[in-house]
Amino acid sequence: MDEEYDAIVLGTGLKECILSGMLSVSGKKVLHVDRNKYYGGESASICPLEELFSKFGAPAPDDSYGRGRDWNVDLIPKFLMANGQLVKLLIHTGVTRYLEFKSVEGSYVYKGGKISKVPVDQKEALASDLMGMFEKRRFRNFLIYVQDFQQEDPKTWKDFDPTTADMQALYDKFGLDKNTQDFTGHALALYRDDDYLKRPALETIKRIKLYSDSLARYGKSPYLYPMYGLGELPQGFARLSAIYGGTYMLDKPIDEIVIGEGGKVVGVRSGNEIAKCKQVYCDPTYVPDRVRKKGRVVRCICLMDHPIANTKDALSTQIIIPQKQVGRNSDIYVSVVSYTHQVAAKGWFIAMVSTTVETENPENEIKPGLELLGPVRQKFTSVSDYYEPTDEGLQSQIFISQSYDATTHFETTCLDVLDIFKRGTGEEFDFSKIKHELGDEEQ
Amino acid sequence: MATIKIPEQKVILCGEYGVGKSSIFRRFTNNTFVTATDRKSTLGLDHYSKTYHVGDRDLKLQLWDTGGMERVASITSSYYKFAEAAVLVFALDNPASFHILSQHLLDIVTYAENAKIFLCGNKSDLLSDVPQITDTEIEAFCEQCHNLITGTYKTSCKTGEGVEEMFNDIASQLVQSNRSRLELQSMEQHGFKITPSEETTEDSCLC
Repeated sequence: MDEEYDAIVLGTGLKECILSGMLSVSGKKVLHVDRNKYYGGESASICPLEELFSKFGAPAPDDSYGRGRDWNVDLIPKFLMANGQLVKLLIHTGVTRYLEFKSVEGSYVYKGGKISKVPVDQKEALASDLMGMFEKRRFRNFLIYVQDFQQEDPKTWKDFDPTTADMQALYDKFGLDKNTQDFTGHALALYRDDDYLKRPALETIKRIKLYSDSLARYGKSPYLYPMYGLGELPQGFARLSAIYGGTYMLDKPIDEIVIGEGGKVVGVRSGNEIAKCKQVYCDPTYVPDRVRKKGRVVRCICLMDHPIANTKDALSTQIIIPQKQVGRNSDIYVSVVSYTHQVAAKGWFIAMVSTTVETENPENEIKPGLELLGPVRQKFTSVSDYYEPTDEGLQSQIFISQSYDATTHFETTCLDVLDIFKRGTGEEFDFSKIKHELGDEEQ
Repeated sequence: MATIKIPEQKVILCGEYGVGKSSIFRRFTNNTFVTATDRKSTLGLDHYSKTYHVGDRDLKLQLWDTGGMERVASITSSYYKFAEAAVLVFALDNPASFHILSQHLLDIVTYAENAKIFLCGNKSDLLSDVPQITDTEIEAFCEQCHNLITGTYKTSCKTGEGVEEMFNDIASQLVQSNRSRLELQSMEQHGFKITPSEETTEDSCLC
């Protein structure tokens, strides 16, 4: 450990592993440390099942759960948008070679106590029970507008300036009612609350395009999920970092981040060892005095031996409960994965219900989500604080990631990573540095 | 996705730091040998595929190197995932690297349950008249492992001796054991790799 590095990365959560990989690829000498014995921190998938039960202080699982080793349970539920930032990062870094994926089978939205498939094309829109006959036509026109929209070509804007006019104005232009606005904003554009209505419409148009482009890639739904769980993602990026010369140390407690002149970081101390460095990249748990609490997220892991009703027995699915439907300010998300992803024993399903905490009784807040699940064999609820750094790290050269939020996909995760990389190195990440070097050489 | 292609099998290298895993990898990829000081030459390359002909069959071995992660005992469990074979490497001049093999074996059977396991004693060129690890010891180890070991080999990456023979044999062992399974395998049981989208000018259609 007693060496000098360009950067020391603390914590092996997904964000830190992506950063570590990007820094190593950029030619930096990286030391990557985790206080835990395993990779992934909060983004690990817990295996075996016994470990999960003991983590939550529950008695060991009985035989009906099958082999404990067949389980890999995520602590933070998320899916990948098939055409999103993380997929781009996986492709450009070549990390995609370490992973296999499956499409999530269905995407549903909650309305009036029951769930309906999110309609994304003309056929589904016309067949959907979410809208009345006339509303369907209006929604169809809206979809066509979004589909034809090209930012570079103002002709496609059709007398509407989405860079200045807000999203509410665009909904009004097409005469969409509140219900349709609700599932468009929350189930297609994937907003967590309604603040977007007052922001320029362009942002929302792009999000709906991301949804439909993602859907177009692998069918069924716009979401992907990795075999063996999300914990495979940080490990893939860790391997990228190691392949490019990064040094890894697990099970290494960090006792101090050593600060030098001008409040700038000079090293990291573990026991009597000090590793020198020019920069530190870390998650909030390593620097409690440099982060502030932004909110809380409640997540409930539910183990079930059946799929969710009315999802055509989907082996994986996402359900979004828009805030207004249940009188809240932020959406409730339900995600289901199962044995088909090698994350549970044969016949088992893992459902996760999560949302941003708004009251003193978080468990009560996710009730509408839990009610959709049917009988649950085992339930583990956790409430975690959500942190953000107090400054940008330019002075201290300590770059801190934000905690994982309640969103169901990795878009905000990637934006945070790319932003940290830019702050730390002063430049945008140059994908061309690696794009082809890692290619599959053939004889 | 149902294109007919040569089946590809993931083969991983396991064993202590410094026993010559990267040297085996380098022999496999471009049949060269470099001294320890030049380790950086594998930076950026972590696996490599080569086609082997076994009778009337073609089989691609995709060999993976650890990337040095075992140095501080932190190989990711995903390194083992999807592996069809594992080569357990020790150095013939280093008894410690042999005696710790059971530890690595445990990792393999934990994370890559279905992998066939092969034992490889490397650095055979360094063997003195009195071997540090005898054939009897190797046999005893295989017996202790309840015959989990499918084959044993001696190689020298320095001279190149035995390396190609080893991979030829691994390929034929895999073809034999996979003959029926490869044919039964259905796509549904597997996930897929994500690849860059083809740059079509055609827009995906929402309506």
